[in-house]
Amino acid sequence: MLTRCSHLAFSFLLVAAVALSGCAKRPATTQAAAPAPTGAATSTAAPTGGPQQLQSGGATGGTATPAPTTTARPAVQDFAAVADLTDVYFDFDKYDIRPNDAKTLDANATWLKSNPNHLVLIEGHCDERGTNEYNLALGERRAKSTMNYLVSQGVQANRITIISYGEERPQCTEHTESCWAKNRRAHFLVKPR
Amino acid sequence: MVLVTFLALAAPWSSPAQQQQGAGRATDVWMNVTGGGSKKLNIAVPEFTIVSGIDSTGMGKVLAQVTGADLTFSGLFSVVAGTGAIPANNPALLEQSWTEFAAAGAHAGLHGLLTMRGDRLEGEMRLYDLVTPEHRMIASKKFEAPIGQARRVAHKIADEVVLQFTGEPGIADTKIAYVTGPRGAKEITIADYDGAGPASATHNGSINLTPVWSPDARSLAYTSYKQGYPDLYRMFPFERRPDQTLAAFIGINTSPSFSPDGKSLALTLSKDGNPEIYVLTLATGTMRRLTRNAGIDTEPSWSPTGRQLAFVSDRNGAPNIFVMDAEGTSVRQLTSGGFHTQPRWSPKGDSLVYTVRQSVHDLWIVNVDGSNPRRLTNGAGNNQGATWAPNGRHLAFQSNRNGRWQIFAMLADGSAQEPITRGPGEATSPSWSPRLP
Repeated sequence: MLTRCSHLAFSFLLVAAVALSGCAKRPATTQAAAPAPTGAATSTAAPTGGPQQLQSGGATGGTATPAPTTTARPAVQDFAAVADLTDVYFDFDKYDIRPNDAKTLDANATWLKSNPNHLVLIEGHCDERGTNEYNLALGERRAKSTMNYLVSQGVQANRITIISYGEERPQCTEHTESCWAKNRRAHFLVKPR
Repeated sequence: MVLVTFLALAAPWSSPAQQQQGAGRATDVWMNVTGGGSKKLNIAVPEFTIVSGIDSTGMGKVLAQVTGADLTFSGLFSVVAGTGAIPANNPALLEQSWTEFAAAGAHAGLHGLLTMRGDRLEGEMRLYDLVTPEHRMIASKKFEAPIGQARRVAHKIADEVVLQFTGEPGIADTKIAYVTGPRGAKEITIADYDGAGPASATHNGSINLTPVWSPDARSLAYTSYKQGYPDLYRMFPFERRPDQTLAAFIGINTSPSFSPDGKSLALTLSKDGNPEIYVLTLATGTMRRLTRNAGIDTEPSWSPTGRQLAFVSDRNGAPNIFVMDAEGTSVRQLTSGGFHTQPRWSPKGDSLVYTVRQSVHDLWIVNVDGSNPRRLTNGAGNNQGATWAPNGRHLAFQSNRNGRWQIFAMLADGSAQEPITRGPGEATSPSWSPRLP
């Protein structure tokens, strides 16, 4: 059907942004590695318009990368916070232990030495400034600096596990300096051996 | 090549709207004035013609709009759209339409023809030269897809038009992967490059970060906390195939970057004490260490030749961009002053885009020799996490200029900044796919 008009009209071409929704649900897939500690099954939804759907035949298989094995790590969800261990904080883009925080860590080390049956997980965190990947590295350095300090105070290194959350788990979500200062931290969790 | 002719002839906006007689016309014609540039090619994109099958969903109109939007997005064209499709097999009405479009300033005409057979859709593009009086056809090509992927046919038609005029296919038939959700609960979503059809690619309820496409556009590497720790995985979103675990060492397993040949993956591990850059050979699992430095070394990005990598290091203080060769030697510092992160090497090889943090984050671009650093975003919230389109002409990035994180796209000179994601949630960390197979 033809639309007719008596004149040429100057107009904007609307950007077509109609999301033709619909995603084919795929069966749950299993992880190549060990079962998820959360027990959550992972399923993968195929986005519409996937390139394989234009291909003939399923291109499954291919080269399998050997999953690198690693030293056993304790399950993260087994750890819990304990009131005796106090967080320490860091300056922006820094991972050295500040003098006041050294005193906090001394107290933490004393507690850990008097509770030798506990393993400790040190979480390294960043504020939202800086960028994602760099902050994962920065959080790692903060957790590591904290670990090194505790080891220097006589805590056995093999009791300590570290994990970086980068900027992914802020304690405080406002966009202010006081909030950011709270987020640049090392946090302690413990579990019995 | 047609390009030379058309660009030479392309004139500044010519005639204002002029009265036309309606009788006997196949289409009504109007011009898109949003482009505004005198150097763009004016291309007529009337509604696509249904050759056979029932078009119950208005596909002829929608797909012409999709193709038109692709051509506008390319930055190369101003689209002259029209209502009403040209009837099939009617050369006289087709010629009449081209005459009218040419009178309205169009330099080229795109005629799309759709054939529906069962659940298959065939789309044919026919490209006409409207500058010469005979309006001859200069190219034609057919594409086929399941009818559920009709938009891909429109994107492929647009990419073919771009190919005809520039010698390089367009980038409309691509995907963008990005991270959705608030902090603490992030999943990966894959959408068409224009934001259409977003679909979840992870559902594990943990934190999933930094998806990066492999060069064959069939897989993505990403960091996930689904096993508790930040480990590196590879997903195959278009196949019934489980994730591979790429790296699950003690410490962080982050910042994946596939080598251009797809055989290796550069990544950041802290298993040997502090964050360092390694290269994993995917076929064998062999891990090769590239950096040895007491500071943070992270965010490797391959050059398109595969001979060099850019990366971030705080070895001299604040984080800056460095370049090394693929063996980890010949390290040179590219930027200074910091806080510079997220280097992404241009597919053309001549420049790198990166993020500068001052009071807020903005995107900058610098030549590979470190010269001519220039700012691409300015004064509109935070802008970071850039990813190149495969042709090196566009960038996608994350911006919170509208109050929440969204994925934006722009031309590589910083112009034409437009949001891609429009939903209510947060969208970050985009990765633009290579052209789909």
